[in-house]
Amino acid sequence: MQGVNLKLDEIRKAVIEMDDVKTAQLVNTALKQGLAPQDILNNCLIPGMKEVGELFTRKEYYVPEVLLASEAFYAGFNIVSPLIKSQSTEKKTKVIIGVVKGDIHDIGKNIVKVLIEASGYDIMDLGKDVSTERFIKAVTIEKPAVLAMSSLMTTTLVHMEEVIKELIKKKMRRNIKVIVGGAPVNEEFANRIGADGYAEDAMQAVKLIKKITIG
Amino acid sequence: MDRITPVINKDSHFAIFPIVCVDHCAHIANVKFSDVAIDGEKIAQVLTHGYNCYQYDMVLLFLDAYIEAQALGCPVRFTPYSTLLGPRSIQGFDRTNEIIKAAQILMEKIKVPLFVSIKGPFTLASFLTGMQDFLKMLLKDPTHAKAVIEQALDFQTKYLERLLEVGANIFIGDPVASATVISPVVFRDFAYEPLKILLSMIRKKGALSGIHICGDTAPLIPMLDTLGTDILSIEDITIKSTTLKMGGVSTSTILRGSPADIRTEMERALQEPRLILSTSCDVPVETNPDNIKAMIGWAHEYTDN
Ligand code: B1M
Repeated sequence: MQGVNLKLDEIRKAVIEMDDVKTAQLVNTALKQGLAPQDILNNCLIPGMKEVGELFTRKEYYVPEVLLASEAFYAGFNIVSPLIKSQSTEKKTKVIIGVVKGDIHDIGKNIVKVLIEASGYDIMDLGKDVSTERFIKAVTIEKPAVLAMSSLMTTTLVHMEEVIKELIKKKMRRNIKVIVGGAPVNEEFANRIGADGYAEDAMQAVKLIKKITIG
Repeated sequence: MDRITPVINKDSHFAIFPIVCVDHCAHIANVKFSDVAIDGEKIAQVLTHGYNCYQYDMVLLFLDAYIEAQALGCPVRFTPYSTLLGPRSIQGFDRTNEIIKAAQILMEKIKVPLFVSIKGPFTLASFLTGMQDFLKMLLKDPTHAKAVIEQALDFQTKYLERLLEVGANIFIGDPVASATVISPVVFRDFAYEPLKILLSMIRKKGALSGIHICGDTAPLIPMLDTLGTDILSIEDITIKSTTLKMGGVSTSTILRGSPADIRTEMERALQEPRLILSTSCDVPVETNPDNIKAMIGWAHEYTDN
């Protein structure tokens, strides 16, 4: 059992060390040794990416490091994910994310997206400069549990409120939780526009989603 | 009248310039930005309109961040404002001649120092490659990243020569080199040297220089201070620096705050021994002109007393 545990920890470390090739190799070896794909995901890949998020919060990692670590995470995730899908009947909670209209700052959103996906959610990324109509269309079609909107500019914050108003108008608001984030956003703003929550960073966003989707 | 140089030379406490750019000037002049963005004469016209309206102590010719990237083949959309659509992939569309034309006109018309904004080679390289790919390349394939930065630097040295020929002062914007995005080590290894090269060209010509980096700059200040730029435009001016700082009023306050809020931030900022009293970044397009006038009016009042 000692040997297996060691491999698991090596996978976690390979993600933290941003090594995509090694992560994929180790995941394949672990699968050959009979480890369950779900365990590899839950006990190695996700904890690895979580630690990366913490390193970023502590400013020990910067954006390039997080992007490379997420490549390593996906190198493993893309191997285990199809295996888990084929075995599991459980549906993952769906989250839609995007940067609001007029705003092209997507570095932060991309980090939030990776950590949400790394925490076991099914995420759909609408990208940046997303119009209110596109948000509404995606929510109508995909019926996610959570809509996550990001904005880095004071001038584009208004579009978050616009999307929420449109959800209310279309009688879709009760079926979805809306969370907001980005540098100029705060708790008070989130409350004022009628969002269900605000997260300061990517780690908080994951915690918030977990909290509001329970029950 | 030049109120900027005396501050740089430590002969004066402060000068005033909220970072009013072409987009806001076009907005208050009721002209479509997309028409201005490709026409040097119109650029000069709207900037002159802005200057006449506000009477600040310098003029910044900043149109959008993508002049050089577009010239090198990045697709850009102008409506309603400039948006970078992707990495280098098409035939270049060169607006540098329009910028130079605008600079020439403004040098004639305006009696305060004119600064033309150019991109730092690090940020320009990120546009050419695509942000995500570039940031990853810095760690994964540093040789390739350096080669792209070198191409960007090559373009910028030629563009800079032409601008210096006109007699303009230069502001270098390098927002992607912010410590909000990259580590101080990456800054040192990739962004520092190209800035140094450009700044030495500016110094040799006897022109004034500024650097603008937004977000977190605290860990970069020791390096920025050795670059020898005249002005450092940063978000948090309470950080200690040996270079003359520029900033003081946050862009959210100028956009959403009252004149009293603006005044509070200005009073705090003026505790600095020397300062170009300014905004932390570009004045947002839709900013109420009364807020900008209040900022400048109060600065003039403060000087008179
Ligand atoms: C839904 O739930 C959630 C939960 C948490 C969420 C979330 C969603 N979304 C984010 N979070 C949170 O988690 C993330 C990870 O922990 C965090 O994400 P962040 O995005 O905050 O953090 C990232 C990991 C790193 N941070 C960043 O990437 C932003 C850094 C700064 C320096 C910045 C950059 C790099 C850029 N910029 Co610009 N830029 C600035 C920024 C300065 C600053 N103080 O933030 C800011 C945002 N920019 C600004 C401006 C004005 C502009 N920029 C522009 C352009 C650019 C670049 C292209 C050069 C580049 C962006 C590249 C890209 N693809 O994203 C222009 C915008 C064009 C447009 N239409 O959008 C332009 C208009 C400048 C111009 N005139 O061209 C300012 C906005 C001012 C304001 N308050 O309105 C700015 C604050 C700078 C300043 N000092 O004023 C959290 O906020």
